[in-house]
Amino acid sequence: MSGQRVLIVDDEQQILRFLKPALSAAGYDVIEAMTGEKALASAATASPELIILDLGLPDMDGKEVIQRLRSWTRVPIIVLSARDRETEKIAALDLGADDYLEKPFGIGELTARIRAALRHNQSETAASATITSGNLTIDLARRLVTKSGETVRLTPKEYDLLVLLGRHAGRVMTHGMLLKQVWGPAHEHDLQYLRVFIRQIRAKIEENEAAPQIILTEPGVGYRFMSEAGL
Amino acid sequence: MSDEFRDQENRPDPDALLALASRSRKGRLTIFLGAAPGVGKTFAMLSRARIRQMAGTDIVVGLVETHGRAETEALVEGLEILPRKTLEYKGRSLEEFDLDAALARKPAILIVDELAHSNLGESRHPKRYQDVEELLASGIDVWTALNIQHLESLSDIVSQITGVQVREIVPDRVLKQADDVILIDLPPEELLARLREGKVYVPANAARATESFFRLGNLTALRELALRRTADRVDDEMVDFLKQNAIEGPWRTSERLLVCVGPDELSEKVVMTASHLSSGLNAPWLVVCLERADQVDEDPQRQARVDDTLRLAERLGGETRRLYGRDFVEELLKVARKEHITQIVIGAPRRSSLQRLFRRSLADELLNRLGGLGLHFVTEDKPSGRRSFDLFKRFGSRRVGLTPRQYATALLVTVAATAAGRAIIEVVALPNVSMLFLLAVLVAALREGYLTALLASVLSALAYNFFFIPPIGTLTIAAPHEVFAFIIFIVATLLAGGIASRLHKQALLSARRAAQTQTLYEVSSKLAGTLDREAIVWTAVSQLNSTIQRPVALLAPVDGQLELQSSWPPDTELGVAELTAARFAYEKGEVAGSGTGTLPNAKLQFRPLRGPSGTLAVCGYAPDAEGLDPTEEHALAAILDQVTIALDRSALTVKSVEQSARLENERFRSALLSSISHDLRTPLATITGAVTSLKEFGDRMPEESRRDLLISIEEEGERLSRFVGNLLDMTRIESGAVEPKRDWVDVGEVVLSSVERAKRLAPGIDISASVAQDLPLIRADSVLLGQVLFNLIDNACKHGGGEPVTVYAKIEGQAVAVSVTDLGKGIPEKDLDRVFEKFYRRSKKTDGRKPGTGLGLSIAKGFVEAMGGSIQVESPAVRRRGTRFTVRFAVEASANDMPVAKGRQVV
Repeated sequence: MSGQRVLIVDDEQQILRFLKPALSAAGYDVIEAMTGEKALASAATASPELIILDLGLPDMDGKEVIQRLRSWTRVPIIVLSARDRETEKIAALDLGADDYLEKPFGIGELTARIRAALRHNQSETAASATITSGNLTIDLARRLVTKSGETVRLTPKEYDLLVLLGRHAGRVMTHGMLLKQVWGPAHEHDLQYLRVFIRQIRAKIEENEAAPQIILTEPGVGYRFMSEAGL
Repeated sequence: MSDEFRDQENRPDPDALLALASRSRKGRLTIFLGAAPGVGKTFAMLSRARIRQMAGTDIVVGLVETHGRAETEALVEGLEILPRKTLEYKGRSLEEFDLDAALARKPAILIVDELAHSNLGESRHPKRYQDVEELLASGIDVWTALNIQHLESLSDIVSQITGVQVREIVPDRVLKQADDVILIDLPPEELLARLREGKVYVPANAARATESFFRLGNLTALRELALRRTADRVDDEMVDFLKQNAIEGPWRTSERLLVCVGPDELSEKVVMTASHLSSGLNAPWLVVCLERADQVDEDPQRQARVDDTLRLAERLGGETRRLYGRDFVEELLKVARKEHITQIVIGAPRRSSLQRLFRRSLADELLNRLGGLGLHFVTEDKPSGRRSFDLFKRFGSRRVGLTPRQYATALLVTVAATAAGRAIIEVVALPNVSMLFLLAVLVAALREGYLTALLASVLSALAYNFFFIPPIGTLTIAAPHEVFAFIIFIVATLLAGGIASRLHKQALLSARRAAQTQTLYEVSSKLAGTLDREAIVWTAVSQLNSTIQRPVALLAPVDGQLELQSSWPPDTELGVAELTAARFAYEKGEVAGSGTGTLPNAKLQFRPLRGPSGTLAVCGYAPDAEGLDPTEEHALAAILDQVTIALDRSALTVKSVEQSARLENERFRSALLSSISHDLRTPLATITGAVTSLKEFGDRMPEESRRDLLISIEEEGERLSRFVGNLLDMTRIESGAVEPKRDWVDVGEVVLSSVERAKRLAPGIDISASVAQDLPLIRADSVLLGQVLFNLIDNACKHGGGEPVTVYAKIEGQAVAVSVTDLGKGIPEKDLDRVFEKFYRRSKKTDGRKPGTGLGLSIAKGFVEAMGGSIQVESPAVRRRGTRFTVRFAVEASANDMPVAKGRQVV
């Protein structure tokens, strides 16, 4: 029981009705807000360690809430959204949300995401010199990637891409983010680059390309680097 | 032709490539050209066809005359032959080429023999070459055969050489526009030998003509014509090739002809001569018609002759233009400079030496002022002696005859002047009286024109002499100085009359032009003010009719079918011929019907109104025997242009309205989809979340939380089921599958049970119901009515802002009315009509989703109407707030006999 504080922002009474007891039972200290304004206020005063945010709020756009939160805090944000609101989801991630979950979802999945986001937040602050996933190790200081002890040869672009994903392990990186940071802002929409490079990296680091374990595809949104099996 | 004229600089021609591109979309025309019948054109054509057929080309014989020759018939065998069309013509049954069958069959190559043939009876086109043009336009390649004597420009030479008048004529442009010309040549001796052997088909009734035709000299001359024509063509092709491939060189034709024509009879000959000259020089030729800018030639005959001449020139391949100006020579020289003309062709009528002395002809003037240009004079065939006679004719054609009104005017002004003169002669001097006559002549000139003035001045001179110049009462003049005064008087009256009448004429002309401009202005401003297609059509028809004074009809496509939209006179009915001509004009974008080459037996002539996106409509009018004069022609064209623009604009507007409606609809659909998916997903998310929470953490939760989760699952399950139920109800209503029972229903009972149900779902809201005493039973479906009332109460609870909701059931006249009233914000007036719309919701969340399903009220309306009742909404209902829904059901007469329900009050 870590007792970490989680802020749930949702205007649907029914959602709060099950999230609150479930997350409490899972050991979190749950606080709730039903509007954007209240959410921003709670985030400032109650200093939660994680925020679960529904994008459809009565008083303001969920994306605006993310934007305003991100202006002063790095607290992990998990967005709740509907499957048919793809662009909204990507926009939320681009604005700085850490993860997203489509409704309807099982509580197990939510708690797993919460754990990953919290852990990732800590590891990022630690700024370790190596990133690992299964038998894959990325030595940032020596720019060396090894798989089961054997060196993996990567081109500079492949390495940059892999490191970018690895540094944000557990987080969903949208296509736009990856393209912008690796290839530059002019190539933000050149999705084909990304597809080709991801395929090449997977061929070099994954055990089975057809069922990737390290770099997972988030369909229509982006990619996620798994720093441990099962999130 | 015009392309060649525009090509002034010494550079490759981009238009040449364009012309090539446009040619490639159409079918290719191959002409097998021969000097005379019997040279073997059909044979050559069929032999080639066999070869192409073997190579797998889809080649079909549309029509071939074998004239019973065995060798030719053998070639036809094995080729697909289109059946001919049988026509009734003058009591005989004849066979003709079936154009429609050919268009329907649409082979790659179609063989149609005898290009110069004239179609019989009620065919679509009078001439076969027009059939062929239609085939080409539809993309079919055509092979055909032609004898050189049938070429229009050669017809006069041929008749000179052979002495045989050629009746069946093909315009030169057909040969010019052919993609391939294959010359079938046979030395004349051989041809004569074949004729003797009976191998050349000769119609039985033309034996004598044939005899004079098939002579060695004739055949040699015709052969030369055919060879030369082909050689010219080959030369043209080479020039085209050089232009397309941007090869600089000596290909630029150095000669350009300018041909001047007018309304005189000589002009036709001028055109023919120019045509020969141009083909000899291989030079483009521009035919200009000179018209005075300040005068309008009102003689329809002369105008018709000008039109004919220009048409002839166009058929022979010349470019035509009308020139307006005062100084003809100056205008001609201007054109000559602009178009880089090298030679001018002009008619020089024979003139007597006296005429030559007094007035210089245009030819003389040109000769004087022309610098560096060649000048060709074309003279009349017949020697002089006719000229003086012609002069009378010219006057005759100018309507020298005065109308009775003009005679009367001349007489009247003279009499008036004489009377006035007699009255004042006692007090004024004689010269002053002459002023009166001058005045009289001016009046005549201004009122009735020059000729009346002329007559008036003659009459005045006589009257002046007779009544005023001594000796009075005779036409003699006593004093010599009076003679001088009299001559001055005559000259003055003549001059004054002339000037006045010209002024008068110009005033008339300006008035007419002003009227035309006015009409056009009116049309365009009327059309500009409307986007409604019907109004445009109506304006067009009425304006056209008032402008050209003839029956007018306007047809436009409705769902792809051309239909009569409006006409004047209004009850015009179009016959089959007219409709066919109209359809032709619409589909081909060409003028058709009366007075044209296509379906000339239709009563109306149809002109296509072509906009940027194709033909928009067809305008038909009845051209009577005279046809349209140039003024009417201009007015018609101008009005049709305006109508075309207006129709095009209207069509675009309709399209853009449709487009925005479609966009709006799409937006609505996507909002709908998103709200339905939200309504389905939220309960599902709750159920899934609650169930997984119980599964995962149930053992760690307090009993209370577990219970609440279970209740929420139950509630959300119910919510989901209600929503699905609503969707199904809506579907049932929309598909008309609601079949309400017609039981006797106690409204009060239904009201109370609905209120109870609503209270369970909205525990925090105060719902009160009051049911009037002695409420009669109504015929309805109690389940549906219950659903209606529940939906209304549920809606009131959702939008009532937590304020009390009241339900009343009472009698209103012959109806039972149940009203549900809330005290919420109410509904804005503009949205009042929409509340019963499917998926309409009032307040809105930030992400565009609205609370509720948006189905309750539309289901209520659907059910009420299915039961034969009515539903109304009013807002504000109470003191500027709240909304009231009222449902009314008529009370049937027999209901009065039924036991009545007792009043109840529930709070």
